[in-house]
Amino acid sequence: MITDDPAPMLLLGFGPDGWGPALLRGAGLTMALALTAMAIGMVLGAGLAAAGASRVRWLRAAAAVYGLVFRGVPELLVVLLLYFGTPGLLAAGAALLGLADPGSPPAFLTGSIAIGLVSAAYQAEVFRGGMLAVPRGQIEAAIAAGMSPATRFRRVIAPQVLHRVLPPLGNIWQFTLKDSALVAVTGLSELMRVSLVAAGSTRQPFAFFAAAMVLYLVLTSASSALFRLAEARGMRWAGGTGGV
Amino acid sequence: MTAQSSEPVLRARGITKSFGGQAVLKGIDLDAHRGDVVAILGGSGSGKSTFLRCLNLLEMPDAGTIAIGGTAAPLRYDGKGGARVTDARALNALRARTAMVFQNFNLWAHMTVIDNVIAAPVHVHGVPRAAAIDRAHALLDKVGMAGFAGHWPRQLSGGQQQRVAIARALATDPDLMLFDEPTSALDPERVREVLDLIRALADEGRTMLIVTHEMAFARDVSGQVVHVRDGAIESMGPPEAMFGPDASPVFRAFLSPG
Amino acid sequence: MSGDLAFLADTTLAIARAVPVTVGLFAASAVGATLLGGLLVMAQTRRGTRECARLWIFVFRGTPLLLQIFMVYYGLAALGPIRHGPLWAAFREPLFCAFVAMTCCCSAYIAEVCRAALAAIPAGQIEAALASGMGRWTRLRLIVLPQLVRLALPAYGNELVMMIKSTALASTITVMDVTGVAGQVIAHSYRTLDVFCLAAAVYLGLTGALTAALRYVERRLNPVEGTR
Repeated sequence: MITDDPAPMLLLGFGPDGWGPALLRGAGLTMALALTAMAIGMVLGAGLAAAGASRVRWLRAAAAVYGLVFRGVPELLVVLLLYFGTPGLLAAGAALLGLADPGSPPAFLTGSIAIGLVSAAYQAEVFRGGMLAVPRGQIEAAIAAGMSPATRFRRVIAPQVLHRVLPPLGNIWQFTLKDSALVAVTGLSELMRVSLVAAGSTRQPFAFFAAAMVLYLVLTSASSALFRLAEARGMRWAGGTGGV
Repeated sequence: MTAQSSEPVLRARGITKSFGGQAVLKGIDLDAHRGDVVAILGGSGSGKSTFLRCLNLLEMPDAGTIAIGGTAAPLRYDGKGGARVTDARALNALRARTAMVFQNFNLWAHMTVIDNVIAAPVHVHGVPRAAAIDRAHALLDKVGMAGFAGHWPRQLSGGQQQRVAIARALATDPDLMLFDEPTSALDPERVREVLDLIRALADEGRTMLIVTHEMAFARDVSGQVVHVRDGAIESMGPPEAMFGPDASPVFRAFLSPG
Repeated sequence: MSGDLAFLADTTLAIARAVPVTVGLFAASAVGATLLGGLLVMAQTRRGTRECARLWIFVFRGTPLLLQIFMVYYGLAALGPIRHGPLWAAFREPLFCAFVAMTCCCSAYIAEVCRAALAAIPAGQIEAALASGMGRWTRLRLIVLPQLVRLALPAYGNELVMMIKSTALASTITVMDVTGVAGQVIAHSYRTLDVFCLAAAVYLGLTGALTAALRYVERRLNPVEGTR
């Protein structure tokens, strides 16, 4: 087990030598990264779901290919691609447009976009399923009641899709949160990176990785608790068996 | 090993059961002798199905004794109102001497019809596979499902599945057959054919307990009618008495609501 | 132009040589994780081991695999019992550490898949088995396991696909798998997109083959399509 050297506890703490604040800042950056990636994934995923349902053949094909690629390729590769690849791409694009080289984009941006691109592929699947979930009859009833398309969407379709979609989205959020650790390889000081740096600097890898694990557990547990709460509120009207 | 003709096939005493504070069975006594056909009637929530399921210990009673063919069920009751099985092997041996036909058929979905019928004989009773298969074909023929041996349960209608389930129950040559609302999940057209099959079994002298809503069937086929109400036996007797003018007023009210 | 082709050819060769590493790591971890996952499911049926199993599942599903890999490779190596223990020769090897981390991590996910599938077995199937007098092991062998496999296969297959992708993380601790080789080439040549596409193609090929194999198994287990 951990040696009874008191140093690890001091190193983890908030004192002068303590890495506590840095770890917490890293955790904050992890959350920001994951939230950004999730948001990107949500917008892009909704678009992909719509494209997948479109009547235009090449749109459907493009959406399918996107899903296949970004669900089948390791997330790490996507992170590496965006991190190493965008500077060159931007430079080439700038040269084409006659602009000055904008340099490398911040690691936060490339990281969150990379994770977001992968997240979008999974979210698209969830949205696709969710769109099919609203019973035809309920939409017809809404039309018959004279609701405008906007009202129908707001009052009838969206709440039911949301309820259907929340549990799998909760899962995807957990994965996005954990995938954010991959951005550590690009040097961004999120939680994984901070613990890695601290471990190397203090030669106490066990303590710092353990601390990072605890922090990740806090983040994932809090997230799942929040999602369960949201799902429970939805169960009020959805119930378990029919009655929707 | 067959039961003595004097020894009842089933002797249940003081069967009591509560679900979460709600008393569902309040001490039921029932005997069944060889060849008896007992119809158990009652409203929903009367406890009749729970009682039947206690007999082969699918539900554990909170108190009471059960003996099948003279052999007592290996139960012990701890003070906290729970039942413990003292001998799992004895319990399985006891269950092997009964057979149950379920409301929802419960054919094993991953096995073909013939595999369903031979599963218990081969794996519980040690019957050689070839012999079990021969017997299974004969039973399937008897229940009118010859030619369906290679089918899968989900290819069959409800009535067909129930007939296979009856063949499966017969395959182990049980001392006691338990029917838990065998026709309640069937389309009306299918109910008749399953009831006819059960009637034929009764005519053969099988010992059967049948929980059912089919009043006419109960009156025609059973030798003993038991009315369960609120977890206790309200009245019981031969069908002529139970369905006659001298029957208990409560039972008569149950038979003809409104 | 020919320089490009030569480069692509060289890179393809280098990546191809790394494929056995990726596949080997995946296969070993898949076997390990499935066995360990099965143990975890069984552990949850006994009162004494239930909490331990749930804790294991909680920790390994709630933390990133990358962190777990670092923990095994760097963290455990700093501990006395490991460093001076009999298994040190193994724990020094990055490939072994990646295998250990992946096995532990994926066992938690597989255990959850099996738990959900167990719960999905209709109660009536078990009741019919109980009623016919089947003992515990007979029930397990004849009824529970066959239905468990059929119910768990889709989700289990998903976990396997994720495992193939997870092998890429071994590259962060110097394992020369497909991603490791690709990263090396990218760092030297700055030909990011080309190499990415090559590596991606390899992974897509692997996951595609796995998916096809799983679909075949699914068809064999469920010979009747559709229901009445």
